[in-house]
Amino acid sequence: MKIKAVVVLAGISLLLAARPVVAHHSFTAEFDANKPIKLTGAVTKFEWTNPHAWIYIDAKDETGTVTNWGFELAAASGLMRSGWTRFSLKPGDVVTIEGTQAKNGSKNANAQTVIVASTGRKLFAGANDQAQQP
Amino acid sequence: MKRSFPVVVSATIVTALSVSLSAQWPLYPKLGIPKGADGKPNLRAAAPRTPDGKPDLSGIWMRTNRTEAPGTAPAGQPPLATFGDIGYGFKEGLPYRPLAVDLVKKRVGALDNPDALCLPQGPLEYHLDPQPREIIQLPQKIVIVYESNYGIRTIYTDGRRLPPQGEPQPYWHGYSVGRWDGDTLVVESNNFRGALTGQPGDGWLDGKGDPFTEALRLTERFRRVNFGQLQIDVTIDDPKAYTRPFTVRVEQEIVADGSEMIEFICHENQKFLQLTGRAPAP
Repeated sequence: MKIKAVVVLAGISLLLAARPVVAHHSFTAEFDANKPIKLTGAVTKFEWTNPHAWIYIDAKDETGTVTNWGFELAAASGLMRSGWTRFSLKPGDVVTIEGTQAKNGSKNANAQTVIVASTGRKLFAGANDQAQQP
Repeated sequence: MKRSFPVVVSATIVTALSVSLSAQWPLYPKLGIPKGADGKPNLRAAAPRTPDGKPDLSGIWMRTNRTEAPGTAPAGQPPLATFGDIGYGFKEGLPYRPLAVDLVKKRVGALDNPDALCLPQGPLEYHLDPQPREIIQLPQKIVIVYESNYGIRTIYTDGRRLPPQGEPQPYWHGYSVGRWDGDTLVVESNNFRGALTGQPGDGWLDGKGDPFTEALRLTERFRRVNFGQLQIDVTIDDPKAYTRPFTVRVEQEIVADGSEMIEFICHENQKFLQLTGRAPAP
């Protein structure tokens, strides 16, 4: 337990040390804040790109049906300043992502947090950081 | 000597890590950063100067995240603008003319924000974006490279005057000339593409869509307060959109940890049009 607490604290420190992550687009134009989503699945693709990076995962629902979901992150440049690299995730890594679903009903969402199952490490996603907007 | 080398290297690494835990790419220590008596960077030291004695604004700058509640700017100081809403600091709002009221209403949802469309950011958007910008001060001109959307502005400081509106053609970033007023660089710009073109992305000052028209006369007063701080007071004078000129303040801080600008090609993986139903999914 102590070790876990230390890891969590270290994670929080890293998050605090990180620079603000960049929001490039109008969040409200693309995503519905009233439609939260939390999915766990294996990464199928990790696009290290601008204006946003994207993670795709195969998520299984309660009936066992597998659906591929895309999650928008901040810009690759912003993620880099927050401690991510293009090697932070690779296909096959199991992650749990919390976010907000796309307004257009597609299997896309905006990620707020990404937790890597094997390590418990929380990767700050920050695509919804309309930083400085009070 | 042999023993001191690894100690120095280790100390350097520890220092670099403590300055920026987040940076994952090689850090190249900035030259010329003033140090205090304790040997640490002293970002409150005096601003550097060019050989002709003018303040040197060169450097990579991040906007600060400081905000002020509406109506609380200290007396005599312009309210702080925010990335999303440059009028946030005005208790009574911005002095819109009906044209501006209509445009702001139409822009709810920000579908045509130039930033979102990967087009050049509007004045204030490029000053306030969370990504950095680099000022390169040369003897006859100043170039500003905005990382977000890879915007580039040239500010001519060779004494030329502003061109007549529309000549040679309106620019996304306008046409800018600068002169020194004491230690303040005063940059005046005109010749903007404005909201009256009706083209998506034209005439946005901020993420909310506060507009400007082709009549905009922009005045920016850059003051490097000290080594680490830059203050930019921006005056919007646009008689077609606003009943009177108004001024807002932007605060930026120097990037001193050795990290650099990062390539940002906005159309690399643009999905905004798909997600807002204006382009088919692949």
